[in-house]
Amino acid sequence: MKISSFLDPEVLARIDNLELLARTVVDGFINGLHRSPYLGLSIDFAEYRPYMPGDDIRRIDWRVFGRTDRFYVKEFEADTNTNFVVLLDISRSMDYASHGISKLDYARYLTACLAYFSRQQRDRVGLVTFDEKIVDIVPPSAKHLDVVLHTVDRIQPGGKGELEAPLLKVAEAIKRRSILALVSDLYHDPQEVLRAVSYFKNKGNDILVFHVLDPAEIDFPFDGAAHFQDLESGEKMPVVPELQREEYRALMKAHLDDLTRLLVENRMDYFLFDTSKPLDYALFSYLSRREKLSRSRVR
Amino acid sequence: MGFSFLAPIFFAGLAALAIPIIVHLTHRERKDAIPFPSLMFVRRIPYKTHRRQKIRHWLLFLMRSLAVVLVVAAFARPLMDDDGAAARSFAGAREVVVLLDRSHSMAYGDHWSEALGAARRAISGLGPDDRATLVVFAEQAEAITRSTADRTLLNAALDGVEVGAGVTRYGPAIQLAREIVERSERPRSEVFLVTDFQRSGWDARQAVSLPEGTTLTYVDVSDADASNLAVTGAAVARSRNGGRESAIVSAQVANLSTESLDGIGVALVVDGEPVQTLSASLDAGESAALRFAPFVLPRRPVRAVVRAGEDALPGDNEFRFVVEPNDPISVLIVEPRNASADHSLYLRRAFEIGGQPGFDLDVIRIARLSGEDLDGRALVILNDAPFPGGAIGERLRELVNEGGGLLTILGRRSPPGAWSADGMEFLPVAFGGPLDRSSGGGGTLSYLDYEHPVFELFKTPRSGDFSSARFFRYRRMEGAESARVLARFDDGSAALAEGRRGAGAVLVWATDFENFWNDLAVQPVFLPYVHQLAKYLSGYVEPQLWYRVGNVVDLSDKMVLGGDDADAEAEILVERPSGEPSVLRLTEESRFLQLNEVGFHRVGYVDNDGDRAYVAAANLDPRESDLAAIDPDEMVGAVTSGGDPEARALQAVVLSPEDRERRQNLWWYLLAGAATLLLLETLISNWLSRATPARQKG
Repeated sequence: MKISSFLDPEVLARIDNLELLARTVVDGFINGLHRSPYLGLSIDFAEYRPYMPGDDIRRIDWRVFGRTDRFYVKEFEADTNTNFVVLLDISRSMDYASHGISKLDYARYLTACLAYFSRQQRDRVGLVTFDEKIVDIVPPSAKHLDVVLHTVDRIQPGGKGELEAPLLKVAEAIKRRSILALVSDLYHDPQEVLRAVSYFKNKGNDILVFHVLDPAEIDFPFDGAAHFQDLESGEKMPVVPELQREEYRALMKAHLDDLTRLLVENRMDYFLFDTSKPLDYALFSYLSRREKLSRSRVR
Repeated sequence: MGFSFLAPIFFAGLAALAIPIIVHLTHRERKDAIPFPSLMFVRRIPYKTHRRQKIRHWLLFLMRSLAVVLVVAAFARPLMDDDGAAARSFAGAREVVVLLDRSHSMAYGDHWSEALGAARRAISGLGPDDRATLVVFAEQAEAITRSTADRTLLNAALDGVEVGAGVTRYGPAIQLAREIVERSERPRSEVFLVTDFQRSGWDARQAVSLPEGTTLTYVDVSDADASNLAVTGAAVARSRNGGRESAIVSAQVANLSTESLDGIGVALVVDGEPVQTLSASLDAGESAALRFAPFVLPRRPVRAVVRAGEDALPGDNEFRFVVEPNDPISVLIVEPRNASADHSLYLRRAFEIGGQPGFDLDVIRIARLSGEDLDGRALVILNDAPFPGGAIGERLRELVNEGGGLLTILGRRSPPGAWSADGMEFLPVAFGGPLDRSSGGGGTLSYLDYEHPVFELFKTPRSGDFSSARFFRYRRMEGAESARVLARFDDGSAALAEGRRGAGAVLVWATDFENFWNDLAVQPVFLPYVHQLAKYLSGYVEPQLWYRVGNVVDLSDKMVLGGDDADAEAEILVERPSGEPSVLRLTEESRFLQLNEVGFHRVGYVDNDGDRAYVAAANLDPRESDLAAIDPDEMVGAVTSGGDPEARALQAVVLSPEDRERRQNLWWYLLAGAATLLLLETLISNWLSRATPARQKG
């Protein structure tokens, strides 16, 4: 896999158009994908806060002092340089394809696109790959886009999948507030998923959850009785798909509904990606939703 | 039509139909496990065994069931058992004759490919018990295969057939088909005729027909709107000017179409070089003679071609011929001593006219005649002069014996006494005094030997009237046994007598050519008569400009390889228009060369330097250019005798069911169908299996 294949010009061209749209609707192109959690020197006013010893006295708003007789310091939203880290699940279950492209390949492309976009926004880009443990870490850096892309390129399917343990380690390692994008097939209990991502949320990070599934995992379109083998554990089970399909679909739907509900309730973005859909189409959908969410927040 | 079965007990095998039903209804697990990312949800669903309640993959099920039915039916040995089937079974034992027209007209457009296709269809339609013979025909018919059931052999023979250059003649083909059918022991016979039904090839007067009961099936490849332009002939006139011989070519061009043609380019090509191109316009069905400008003939034979336009039958758009230079016939007229200046006036004038052949004429008095004067002469005319004596007379005898000619004219200056005994002996007849017929208005010629070359030209009516000439005096001749009288007066006395002397001939004319004893010299027939006498006596042979395809060249002919000089047992090199040269040994049996191809044939001695090579131009028969067709039904009605072949077939011995089943071999087709179905079933089921979405990416 070459880097150029990650950065498919046709894909990026369509996303670029969407970002131009997002810039006019929200507050600029750079904030189209995320809003920086840091406050600092900028031209966009954010809030006042009481003066604390050590603050630069030049930042005291003297007009407010004249009206209130209290020292307040003006704070502005930063317009650049946040950390953007992709948490990529490379467990064995990701290496599944019922048609042309596997979930892992799809996740690779998605990671590459997200990293590229973030770099376009002058963010520092990082990457963490994990299965039951952390496999690879690329620390966020403004100069690490190439390293991230090369790391993505070298990814091999791992072993058994875990979520909570590796993400806890990542959360402990991240000192600076970041945007974290979790890319996984999330074959875990929704509560466990919530717990795992809450480590980041609780530290003020912004969480995006990209749920990647093969259409066969959603629709269970198999025909004929057979033994099904779990890719991660190797366990085999006799299955009669015709009889079990509806129950499977119901369980999967309940799983997806729970994930959506829990993550949204905790103010985390959740997106389901179907590997049968074009990647640019999925990103397009994602940014559309971001746009709608931004609008609703503005109102 | 219905079916019956020799072994219906095998239908018990239909119980096997339950097999595909069971296969389609029962649970059948895959041998290999399907990889799946996580059994997290599947694990929560209780496992259920099941038995299918409905048939899946109806197409596969039907294919499997049908295969079982076909196999069972094959083992039951089916046969068609109605009368029609019996007849058809019997019809399988046919004697089939495929008559394929390969005359040149079949080269028109795509007629030949159509004909080959029709012949192949006829061959492929043969039943297992049929036998067929492939006959190709043009002016003659030839069976190129024996009667055989081997379709491969028949098709291979058909592959080797090409359009020929011959004319169409249906009679020999029908006759050959009749002989083949009559020799056959098959109860039914059928003749497939594949042709363009050229009208010129059918002569209803030919009483040819097929045996009674024979079916004639025809494939008509003719084109009602066929248009054809043809050069049907050429003539060469000659003239001499200053010793140089010129040729004037006239060509006959015919428009054998239903539409008029304008601006036809007609070109004369001599030895490969275009000489002149004329333009012609011809109405439908019209023909015209086009005359080209004269061209000087070299001292060797030249190959000439007249080309006219282009059409779908290009073979007859060219006409080839060979123009050979003509040496004039050397004639010496010997006059008596006291002859007047105009003694040979009429003869001289006659020889001065005409260039085909020309005459090289000298006139001399007998008193001045020497032996040298006779050298190189082809003809000597003693015009009322006696036979020379001595050495000159001996030389004259030699000249005649070596192939020269002597014409003796017995007029008023030729009393018998003036002739020496030796001279009289050399003549084929003895002659006496004159017989006077002037009192009765003169005598006439009452008998002419039209079979003789001298008078052959005048054989047809209005081609020369000798009866208008009046003969007032002539000498009575008494013929010897060796003499042949070619003409007689009305009183029965001989007027012209011939005697052979060695290789030459002597003719004696009983009166004069002076317009004195008779008025023949002023009759229109005089000129051609004198020319015919000279040509015959000098041994002149009209050069053959061209031949028709199928004509025969006599290699021993004087004009071809030198006649008497031809070496027996010599090796002859024959170069045909197409193909490699061939060598044949000249014998009495093999001295005839048939011209089977259109074009120039070159014949010469193998060890010869080419000086004595002979070139023969062969052209298509113009009858083949006329593409007008007859009504096929007219020919079929004339050729078939109207019997009922179907009825004849049914009169044969009725076959037993076992024999019918063995002849029909229906079981074989059923098994083949079952095998095909099972093969398709395998392919489809494999495809369906692969289409199942279960693949782990490695």
